[in-house]
Formats: sequence, structure tokens, C-alpha cells
Amino acid sequence: MLSFTDILGLDLAKKALLLAAVDVSLGGVLIPATVGSGKSTLARAFAHILPEGTPFVELPLNITEDRLLGGLDLEVALATGKRVIEKGLLAKAHGGVLYVDSFNLLDSVSEAYLIDALSRGKVLIERDGVSDVHEARFILVGTYNPAEGEVRMGLLDRIGLIVPFTPNSDEKFRAEVVRRVHFQTHDSDADDDKLLQGLILQAREILPRVEIRDEEVSGLVQTALSLGVEGNRADVFAVKAALASAALAGRLDVDEEDLKLAARLVLLPRATRIPESEETKKEPKPPEAPQPAESESQSDSPDNNNENNHEQTPDQIEELLLDAVESELPENLMNLAASAKRRSKSGSRGEALNYRHGRYVRSEQGSLRKGKLALVPTIIQAAPFQRVRKKTNRRNHSAIIITKDDIRIKRFRDKAGTLFIFIVDASGSMALNRMQQAKGAVTKLLQEAYVHRDQVALIAFRGKQAEELLPPSQSVDRAKRALDVLPTGGGTPLASAMLLGLETAKQMKSKGITQTMLVFITDGRGNVALSQSNTDASDKQKIATEIAALAQSINREGLNSVVIDTQTGYLSRGEAKRLAEQLGGRYIYLPNAKAEQIAAAVKSS
Amino acid sequence: MLHNAVSFYIKMTMKKTSPPKKKSASRSHASKSTEKKKSPVFPFTAIVGQDEMKLCLLLNVIDPRIGGVLVMGHRGTGKSTTVRALADVLPMIERAEGDIYNRPLSEIPKEELHTRKAEHIPVPVVDLPLGATEDRVCGTIDIEKALTSGVKAFEPGLLAQANRGFLYIDEVNLLDDHLVDVLLDVAASGVNVVEREGISIRHPARFVLVGSGNPEEGELRPQLLDRFGLHARITTINKIQDRVEIVKRRREFDLNPEAFLEAWKPEQDALRERVVKAQSLVPKVTMPDEVLMKVATLCMRLGIDGHRGELTITRAASAYAAFEGRLEVTLSDVRAIAVPALRHRLRRDPLETIDAGEKVERELQAILKVEETV
Repeated sequence: MLSFTDILGLDLAKKALLLAAVDVSLGGVLIPATVGSGKSTLARAFAHILPEGTPFVELPLNITEDRLLGGLDLEVALATGKRVIEKGLLAKAHGGVLYVDSFNLLDSVSEAYLIDALSRGKVLIERDGVSDVHEARFILVGTYNPAEGEVRMGLLDRIGLIVPFTPNSDEKFRAEVVRRVHFQTHDSDADDDKLLQGLILQAREILPRVEIRDEEVSGLVQTALSLGVEGNRADVFAVKAALASAALAGRLDVDEEDLKLAARLVLLPRATRIPESEETKKEPKPPEAPQPAESESQSDSPDNNNENNHEQTPDQIEELLLDAVESELPENLMNLAASAKRRSKSGSRGEALNYRHGRYVRSEQGSLRKGKLALVPTIIQAAPFQRVRKKTNRRNHSAIIITKDDIRIKRFRDKAGTLFIFIVDASGSMALNRMQQAKGAVTKLLQEAYVHRDQVALIAFRGKQAEELLPPSQSVDRAKRALDVLPTGGGTPLASAMLLGLETAKQMKSKGITQTMLVFITDGRGNVALSQSNTDASDKQKIATEIAALAQSINREGLNSVVIDTQTGYLSRGEAKRLAEQLGGRYIYLPNAKAEQIAAAVKSS
Repeated sequence: MLHNAVSFYIKMTMKKTSPPKKKSASRSHASKSTEKKKSPVFPFTAIVGQDEMKLCLLLNVIDPRIGGVLVMGHRGTGKSTTVRALADVLPMIERAEGDIYNRPLSEIPKEELHTRKAEHIPVPVVDLPLGATEDRVCGTIDIEKALTSGVKAFEPGLLAQANRGFLYIDEVNLLDDHLVDVLLDVAASGVNVVEREGISIRHPARFVLVGSGNPEEGELRPQLLDRFGLHARITTINKIQDRVEIVKRRREFDLNPEAFLEAWKPEQDALRERVVKAQSLVPKVTMPDEVLMKVATLCMRLGIDGHRGELTITRAASAYAAFEGRLEVTLSDVRAIAVPALRHRLRRDPLETIDAGEKVERELQAILKVEETV
């Protein structure tokens, strides 16, 4: 097994892990990396640089609730008749590392339990008739491949350090990795691990004494604001990361490098916008920064003045930090935009609990007529009563006496419901009208989404290409926010929209959404080709071919389609109808349709 | 009325069981309470900003009939920190000694009254974790008692513990549907009925429901939304000074919680006193007819169905007046609480672009303007 220092690359990830080891309250580290980049090897190696006996717990994706949170201990129940909770994985990771591979594929309820444990530092158990509390402060290490979808933001908020995603592709580097891993040319050096262990222990010890100046705190906060970081928790994490970085270097003062590292690991991955340019930014600052008190206290301490960077104002620090993250910003913003699109696991609503199919997550009391027997939970339930029952029921010689009240049946969680992808023509003169209709229909469907656990997405197309205005979601709030922007006019890139719709549907399929309905609101007349060549009139044939091919793919993928033609009669030339045929879907002619009518039509399709 | 002293009874269909007098402090419970004492909680008064949420919580302490608070907002804005901090500024209540349902002496059945004394406990705040199972929420058979004495006794659940206190659900929009059903049932009736495993029991369960969540992670069921008296919305604080202050206080607290709590003790005590005083004033607060008419007009103009809107405003405004130390509700009291009282009661319009809170605010302005010109 490779040791922590042996693993090539992932330098920033290593730094982040070290910081998390120094200050456990940072919550942990999230490492996005491509397949085979050594991310999980790194996570496992991480356990070895922590002090002896630190637990390392790996959380499997298909975990049941009682294994995660804790459940009744069968042995104790049988032996003593007492109800004692056996610790779940969250509690077992206390004081150590909880490792989740393919973090982005974790289901939303398990995520919610993780968030809860992270925020409390303990697990509250109110299960199986037992009330208990287990300590659960751990370093969460999550690795995932961004190509498989992003992580839910709620969790990102609780995990302090997020390593910016950089796909490494340097040839030399790749060759060296192969040499090390396959040919074992490099001697694993256990001493390096020992050294790091020592560093971490020392850093933990001095951490409470590390100082950060008010200006530096302000600088970090201003940077967070400039980058549009949501929520106030990131500020706290940024300061903690800077302090931990200083402690790791054995310093009692935070310096520039610490602040930069904090900005890269905490603020950069949470950025939602590119900061305004220097000139426009400077203007409104003066009235906002009256800090005479702080600069006074500054001059009180003489030893602060001997180094250059100690005199920096919050504005200067902000500038420094923005410079440091600037080059990586566009890449990460793009990731974020992508993640916002893929952030489709909108709560447990998309994953219904049921008694028949899906992943077995928990058991509950019930009759066998209602569901399938959960054997172990039933036995566990009966266990405490065995001594009494045996005493009062001497003629019954069964090994275990089970009564009706003991019966536990399985509850499964399954991604359920239909995904409706609205693909709306936002080009031309009727666009505004169509967008309003689509918007109304989307909101209407979402309001009824409870019952069916449906999700809705909206793709608009105009100009050069299609745009996903609303990623698959169940939230009326989000839908409203996303749909407030109604860009209209321009060309008609129908093919681009079909492609995006197909991609969205496929992506959701990998997440368990098995039923998808594409709802086209268009007259079916695409006039922009998918390939970015010169689009002139001669491309008409090409466009038609593209549309036909895409329609076939959609049909083959098993996706249902409906084409709603809202064009008034005399303009209609049958393109929409042909599109419907190619898609193998329904064609509905609804001139001047109301949102309700569209919603109703879609539901009945 | 929910708050009236309705006498509840406990009926055990099993042998000669008397209602459990003292909680036979089971191991798990004992460890839990010591646990809670061990970890210090960030003080309520030291939380920067988020005034709407804080006010909504305090008003519910002053008058539990307001019907709870739903707090929705961005992640990382201190929702759960604030709710968990509330416990420390809550006043004491009187209950029959060791009563598992926190009943006052006046609700204890006469036949066992002579054995009971009164004691004072802080208003209970009960955390309902997401993974809770129904038997722990509603209560179930006390297994240890069953084994040691052969008697089937009732082991109360979270609903019993929360009686006369607060029941807090974080990530309320992710709560399992069948638990939501149970909660809706109990919240409406104020009584928890358990029929299972050969036990039949009814006990009072009147609590202030506090829920929090992030609206982007899924919608709340409309019936549940309707249950909440007030609906606070919170957003990220964007003032640099405030954000720096948040970071500094957090760090101070993390480094030395005891010293931090000590430093904030006067503020905490003052707030608690103010709440206690307001509680005593609430029954005496009156609302002039003109103000009441304005409230009715407001609700009508906003097209709010039913009367829960007016009732909530009246209660919340009265509590607010009491909090301000006054005995008469003014229009400014109504103003202070109208948005959280009505925000979640507007009919949903798919094409509406403005936020519900803004809409309430706008109507409010219009009505107040009429007031000025008259």
C-alpha cells in the first residue's frame, strides 16, 4: 500500500486533508477527481498519518438507516432482554475519518443524516424504542468523479474544504504514476507518515494559540462577498482553514500563504460570480470601511509592524486573495454552473418510500399483507421478550417466540415519479407567449408534484443554442427564480434543444428517474444547425437530418414525447406534427393554450 | 381552545397499572441529559442579525397559541443554531414532580393528586431527528418494566416530552411522510393517542412546532405549511461588519465557551426576564376595534382563506405589544409581525413574480397610507 507522501499529485487535496486533520471542526474534505487519479488511495492513506488508533470508517452507498445511525443490538437483547443500541457507522467514525467514495451518488436522506451529524457532532437516536446519543465528530472525506454528477449543496455547506477540480493530464506525471504504482520503484517510506503524524499533533497543540488579525478576517469576508459566496458559514471555515494552515507550519501568526490557501480551499469552490473589476469595486468601499478602532489596536502591538504584509488593509488582502484564485475561477464557476444544473437530487421527494421495490432502507411495524417480512428486525424486536415469553408459554418450544406485534416489514426507497422536460421555443414573435404558457404549466405541475413525486425541467431554445433554464427540480421556489429570466427572440436551434433534452433525460436515468416525458412547445421549425458551421439556407437539409436523427435517438432511449403546437392555424405548416411522428409521440394542437390546458394535456399524455 | 386546561386522562387497559409517576430514569435518558449539559450552546443573544427569525421564536415563547414557526432559508445562515440557542432563554414552568407529560398539578387526575408535589423545569425543547421511528415519536411499551415486573407500561415518546414545550424538526421538508401525518394529527388535536402492543393510552401533547429547512431541497406539504403560525425567511447576511462579527464571536466561543457564555450571561438573563414579563402581560393586552378592522381588511385584500390569518396576526401582535411592555396593540405592532404571519397563507399564483412577503408588505403599506390620509 502506498503511503500518503508516496501518492503523486493531488497536492492541494493533501494540503486540505492535513488542514482537516489539524482542525476537526472544519468538517472534512471533498475531493473531486477523475477516475483512477488515486483519490480513494489517498483517502485510505490519510488514515495512516493520523495518530495511532484513529478509526477509519468507510461508508457504503447502499447502507441502511440502522447501520448508519445505529440499531438494536441483537446479542444483548437475546442475552439480557435489554434494549441497547449498537453504534452506527456515524458513531463508529467518532474521533476518526468517515470516508465516502462516489460521494455524489449518496441518496439524499443519507446525506441529510450526514449533515445532521456534522452539524451536531453527535447522532441523536430515537429508534426502536430507544433514545440515545452517540458522539460523532469525525473528519468527513468524500471523493467523487464530477463526470457522474455533482454533490448536493447542503452538504457542501457543512464540509469546510473543497478541493478545486483540476484534471491532470501531464504525460510525465502519468508515466511516473504508473512507475510508482505498478513497478513499485519508489520505496514506501513509513517514516514519512510518522513525520506527518508528528506535525499534525504539534499543529493541533498550538492551534488555539494561533492569532489572526481583524484585517485578515475582514479580508477573507470581503473576498467571500466579492465571490458571491452564499451563507455565512464559509467565512468561519475560511478563518479556521487559515489558522490551521499557520499551525501546520508551526507559526503562531497567519500569513499571506495561509490566507491564500484558505481562499482556494474554502471560498473559490463556493464562488458564484466573477468579482467586479478593480475600478468599479473601489468606488463604494470608502464609506463601508470605517475601522479606526481596529487600526488603533493594531498600532498598540509593536511586534506587528516589522513585517510588510502585516500592514495590509482588508482591501489589500482581498485584492491579494482575488488575484490568487483568479486564474482558477472561471473553471470552477463553470463547474458550479454545471453542478447547479445537475443538482437534481432535490430532496427525498424524488425518492419515495414504498413497500415493494427499490433499496431496503428501514423496517417498520406492519402486517405481512402490507409488505415483505424484514426477518432480522423482526427477530431483534422479539428478542428482548424471549425470557418472559418462554416462562409464560412453557408448551411452546420454538427457538424464538414471535408474536404479531414483533412483525417488521421492509420499507424501500425508490426514485419515483416522472420527469417532465419542457422544451420551449423561445425564438420568433410568439416566443413570449409560449414562455409564459410553459412557465405556468411548469409551476402548475410542480404544485401537484407531491402526489406523484414528479420533477420538472425547462429548456428554452433561441439564438445559437438551447439553454437549461430550470434543471430537474421539485421546488416551486427554484422554478420561479429560474423562470423569471425569459430570454426570447432570435433563431430556432431546435436540434440543440433536443440534444440537451436527451442528455438531461439520460443523466436523470442514471439517478433512478425511469420515466421521462419530453414536452415540446414549438412549431417544429428549426433553423439553426447543431454543428457550428456557416448556417445558411443550404443547411436546411442538414438541419432536417439532425432533427430526424435526434428524434430517433430520443425514441430509442424509451423517452415519451409530446409536441404541443400553439401556432395559430394559418401559419402552421405541419412541421410540428412531423416532429411528433419522428419522436413516436403525441401531437397536440392547442392554439392560444392556457397554462392549465398544457399542464392537463401533459398529464394525460 | 388549545391552551385551555382540558383535563386529559390516561387509560391503561392493562392490569392494575397506575400511570407512571417518576420516570424510571433509564440509562439512555440519563446519558442524554448529561450529554446535553456537557456541550455548551452558542447563546441566543450573541447571534448576529436574523431578527425576523429570532422575533418569531420569542413571540411563540410569549404566547404558544401563535402556533409555531417555520424557518426557511439559505444554508449556513444559522437556522438550527438559533433554534437550539432558544432553550437557554426560555422561562421555567411548573409541573407535577417527575411527570412524564410535563403536566401541571391542575391537570393531574384527582385520585393521584395527593401524592404529587410541584416542581419547576425549563420549558422543554425536544429535537426530533430525521431518522426517528414512529415508536419513539409517539411512545411505546416500556420493555424493561415489562421484563422486571411483568407489567406492560407505557414508555413515553418525544411527543410526551415536548408537551408544553417546543418540538424542533430540522430539515422538516425531508421528514418522512408517515411521521408528518402523525405530527399533523397530534398538532391539530393536542392529544397523542397510542394503540399498540397491547397498550392503549391518551396523553396531552401540546407543543410549539418549530421547523427549519432549505426551500431548494424540496417543498413542504401544504397541510404542514398551514400548521405553522409564523413563517420566517432568512437570507445570507451581506454586511461586512456583521459577517466579521459573526466570525469573531464564533471563534471566541470555540476557543473558550465557558468564558463566552459568562460574558453573554447578562444579556441572556435580561432577555429571559423580558420574556417572562411579556408572558404575564399577554392576557391583559387588548386590541382596539380600528386595528382589528385593519387586520381584517388586510387579510381580505390579500385573499386569504379562513380566519387563521387574522387570528395569528392578533395573537402575534398582542405578544409583540407585550414584549414591548405595552397593553394595547397598535398598527405598528401589526406591521412588525404581519409578513411572517401571512407569508405562507397567500394563494399560490403560478405567474406571480414577486415574493409573498413583499406582497404582504405592499398591501400593508397601502392600508397604512389610507390610515394617514383619513
